[in-house]
Amino acid sequence: MLVDVRIKRFRPEQDAQPRWAAYRVEAEPTDRVLDALNTVKWRHDGSLAFRRSCAHGICGSDAMMINGRNRLACKVLIRDLRPPIVIEPMRGFPVAKDLIVDMDGFFAKYRSVKPYLITEEPAPQAERPQSPEQRERFEDTTKCILCGACTTSCPSFWANREYLGPAAIVQAHRFLFDSRDHGAAERLPVLNERSGVWRCRTIFNCTEACPRGINVTKAIGEVKKLLLRQSVK
Amino acid sequence: MPRPVVRHQYDAVIVGAGGAGLMAALEASKTCKTAVVSKLYPTRSHTGTAQGGIGAALGNVEPDSWEWHMFDTVKGGDYLADQDAVEFMCQEAIRVVYELEHMGLPFNRTPEGKIDQRRFGGHTKEFGKAPVRRSCYAADRTGHMILQTLYQQCIKQAVSFFDEFHLLDVLLQDGRCAGVVALCLATGEVHVFHAKAVLLATGGFGRMYKVTSNAHTLTGDGCTVVFRRGLPLEDMEFFQFHPTGIYKLGILITEGARGEGGILRNGRGERFMERYAPTLLDLAPRDMVSRAMYLEIREGRGIEGKDYLHLDLTHLDPSVIDRKLPDIADFVRTYLGVDPHRQPIPVQPTAHYAMGGIPTNLHAEVLDERGQVVPGLYAAGECACVSVHGANRLGTNSLVDIVVFGRRGGQRLAQWAPAADHLPLPKEPEVMAQEALSRLTTNLGGESAAQIRDELQQAMMAQVSVFRTEAGLKEALAAIVQLRVRYGRVDVQDKALRFNTELEEALELGCVLDLAWATTVAALARRESRGAHCREDFPDRDDANWLKHSLAVLRDGAISLSAKPVTITRFQPKPRVY
Amino acid sequence: MTTSLSYSSPKPSGGFELWAWLFMRLSGLALLGLALGHLVIMHLLNNVDAIDYNFVAGRYVGWFWRGYDLAMLLLAMLHGLNGARTLLDDYVPARRRRAAVTLLYLIGAVFLVMGTVAIVCFTPVTAPHS
Repeated sequence: MLVDVRIKRFRPEQDAQPRWAAYRVEAEPTDRVLDALNTVKWRHDGSLAFRRSCAHGICGSDAMMINGRNRLACKVLIRDLRPPIVIEPMRGFPVAKDLIVDMDGFFAKYRSVKPYLITEEPAPQAERPQSPEQRERFEDTTKCILCGACTTSCPSFWANREYLGPAAIVQAHRFLFDSRDHGAAERLPVLNERSGVWRCRTIFNCTEACPRGINVTKAIGEVKKLLLRQSVK
Repeated sequence: MPRPVVRHQYDAVIVGAGGAGLMAALEASKTCKTAVVSKLYPTRSHTGTAQGGIGAALGNVEPDSWEWHMFDTVKGGDYLADQDAVEFMCQEAIRVVYELEHMGLPFNRTPEGKIDQRRFGGHTKEFGKAPVRRSCYAADRTGHMILQTLYQQCIKQAVSFFDEFHLLDVLLQDGRCAGVVALCLATGEVHVFHAKAVLLATGGFGRMYKVTSNAHTLTGDGCTVVFRRGLPLEDMEFFQFHPTGIYKLGILITEGARGEGGILRNGRGERFMERYAPTLLDLAPRDMVSRAMYLEIREGRGIEGKDYLHLDLTHLDPSVIDRKLPDIADFVRTYLGVDPHRQPIPVQPTAHYAMGGIPTNLHAEVLDERGQVVPGLYAAGECACVSVHGANRLGTNSLVDIVVFGRRGGQRLAQWAPAADHLPLPKEPEVMAQEALSRLTTNLGGESAAQIRDELQQAMMAQVSVFRTEAGLKEALAAIVQLRVRYGRVDVQDKALRFNTELEEALELGCVLDLAWATTVAALARRESRGAHCREDFPDRDDANWLKHSLAVLRDGAISLSAKPVTITRFQPKPRVY
Repeated sequence: MTTSLSYSSPKPSGGFELWAWLFMRLSGLALLGLALGHLVIMHLLNNVDAIDYNFVAGRYVGWFWRGYDLAMLLLAMLHGLNGARTLLDDYVPARRRRAAVTLLYLIGAVFLVMGTVAIVCFTPVTAPHS
C-alpha cells in the first residue's frame, strides 16, 4: 500500500529554518516506520539523514517524534499509526540535520551522575554476592538504552535545558539501588541540585515515551525519597 | 574538491566501540594516550543486541570445567579452531566474567547469590554427554549489560571518544601500522590519526545478506580496509546462520529460548530435531539446526508449506518467559503480534556471525599472509579470526571472544606501545580516502547504491547461505563481479558535508561488496562441508585435504587464496555427531 | 564530534529544593484536611445566609479558629507561592527569573501580612445588629 509520510527536514548548509517535506512511499502495514524512512532514503531522496542501527529497539539510535509522540522508528509499525505519518526530530536538542539531533549535552548529563559502579571494598576472587531480590530491586532501570525519548518528551526539560532529565536520573537509579554500589554520597549531591530530580513535576510523559517500558517516573520518585531519607538521617 | 583535514596524534587508536573495542580501550588507556574512534555512539554498538549469555565454566549451578568448554568449542567449530587459542579463551572466560561482575554487570543470580547460568546450544558436560548450564546471563539482554558496563567503566577512566567517525583507511608503512584515517560524520572533515598502535574492533558484516540479525551498520569496515591494503582475511567462507530469526525480519530470538525449553516444530507439529541430533535435540550447534530447518522447509514441511517453521514456547511457564526472555517476548508481540505464551513464533534462519576475519594470534596481533605479526596492528572481536570459532561458533562464545581478546589485545598493546615510536606518516596519508570520497560524490554514473545493495543481498542469500553448490557459487561470483563494476558508477546525490549518511551508506556498500567477494571466492574453493560451510556437491568433511584455514589476499585486483595450518593440541578431529 | 568525558557539576544548592518538595507534599496533605473541614463547616453544617459578622466574631473569641484559619492561610499561600515559583523557574528565561520571583514574593508577602494581621488583630465588637 502507499503511505504518506511528512518529514520535518533541516539541511544545515542550506536552510535557515526547518521545512516540511512530503513523500508517498510503498509500504506494508507490518513494516516499521524505519522501513518507510529507508524507502524514502533509498528510493526518493538519498539526502534524508537519520540515525539507525540495530532496527529492533535495542541500540537506541532512532528515537524521534512520530505523530506527536517520541518513539523508536524501528519499534512502531505503520499499521499502528493513523496516516499521514508525521516525523520530526526529538524536541529540545539542537537539530544537526533532518532527524539527527546533537546529543552531546544529553551524554554530558548522563556522565555527570557518575554512571558506574562505585565501591570501596576490594573485589573478591569470584563474584560479589547479590541475592535475586537485591538484583530485582534495580532491574527496571538497567533496561535503559539512552535513546533520549524520555528526556525530550519532558516539559520540564523543554522549559529548562539545565534539568538533568529523566534518562540521567534513571541511570543514577540503576546504581543507587544496586546493593553492590557505595557511590550514593558522590551521586546524590548532583541529583539534589536545583537542576536535579526536583525539576521533575511528575508529568509522566517520560514513562509514556520510554520504548523499553521503564517506569521512569517511579524511578525518579524513588530517587527523591532516597534523597529525603538521606537528609533526615 | 578535497575535504578539510584534521590531524591527531595518539599512542593508541581503537576503532570500534563494542565489547572488544571498549575492553581494549580500558586496558590500553592505562598506559597509553588512547582514542576510541567509532561510527556510532558507543552504546549503539551491536554488542548491545546479544541476548542469551556469555559462556564460562564457573560451575555455579552444576559441575563444569573449562576443558569441557574447550572441547565443545573445538567440536562445535568442526575441528577448524586453533586449539591453543581456544584453550586460552576458555580459561580466561572464567576470569573475565568475574571481572565484568566486579565492574558492575548485573547478572541474574542464583538463590545463593551467585551468577546464574543456563543451557545453550552445543555446550555440554563431560565431553558431549549432556547439556550443561554454562551461559552466564542477564535476562535476555546480556550484551546490553556488557556494553553498558564497559562504557560506564570508560567514563570512569575518562577514555577519549571520537563518536560518529567512519573508518576510511588504515595506514601501513613498511609492513607496520602508523594510524588510521576516518570521516567525521558531523562535519564531513577527514581526520588522520597518527598512532603507534591501532586495534580494530569493527565487528561483523552480516549486511551482505538479505535476512540478517545484524544491524544496518555491520558492514565490515575494518576487515575491508586491511584487505584493501593487501593484508589477508582468514576463513571467510564460514558465515553462521542463526536458526531462530523472526520470519522475514531476521531479528534474533536467542538460543536461550531453546535453552529454557523452547522447541522447534515443523508444519506437521513434529519436533524435527529428534531426527537430526538425538542427544542435544534443539540445542545442537547452530549450523546443524539451521541446515535441519532448511531441509524441513525444502521437503515441504514448513508451516503451511511456506519457508518458515515454529519456535514453540507455549508449554513453558509464562513467568519463565516474562522473567528470563522479556525482550524477545516484546519483539514477537511488537513485530508479529504473536503472544509467545499462547502462540508459536514463526522463525527462519538468519545471517548472524562471521567466523572469518582478520587473522590474529592469541594476543590479538594481526598476522600477514606469511603468519608474521604486523607490528602495531591489532584486531579483536568479530572482525578478527583468532581462530577460536573454527567453522562454526557456539552460542555465547562471541561475547567470550570479544571480552577475552579485546582485553588481551588491549593489554598487549599497552605493553608494546609506550616503548615504540610513531612511524613517520606518508606525505599525504589521507589521499586514498579523499579520492574514494570525491569519486562517490562527483560520479555521474547514475547507479544507485541501494539498488546494488539489494541485488548483492539477494544473490548472497540465494547462493552463499546455508547450502552451497559450485554452480550457485559461480553464479553469485559472477553477479558480485558485475556489481563491483557497477559500484564504480555509484553517484551519491547528497553533496553536503555534514551528516552525509547517503555517502556513508555508499562507503559501507563498497565494504560489503569486497567482503562478499572474498566470502564467495573462498566458499567456491573449499570443496568439503565443514561447520557452517555446507557444500551440497561435497557433503562430507575432508580432513585429509581441507583441515586448514584459508587466507584470501587482494593482489592486483584479484583474490588469491592460500592455506594456513590448524593448531591441534588436545582434541583430534572426530566425526561430529550430537 | 569529540566528547570530552569530564563534566563539571555546579555546587549543591543546599537542599532547599528537597525541603520545598517535602513541604509541598506535607502542606498539600494538611490543606486537604483543613480545606475540607472549612468546606464542611461553611457550606454543609452552616450555609452562606447564616454566616455573618457575628458568626465570625463568635468563632474568633478564642484562639482555636484563629489558629485554624491562620494555618490554612499560611499553608495555602506558601504552597501556592512555591508552585508559582516552580512555574517561573521553568518558564521564565534565566535573565528575568530573579526579578519575576522577587515580584512574586513581594505580592505573596503583602497578602500574607494582610491576612495575618486580619486574623491576629481582629477584635470582636458587639454588632449593632438587629
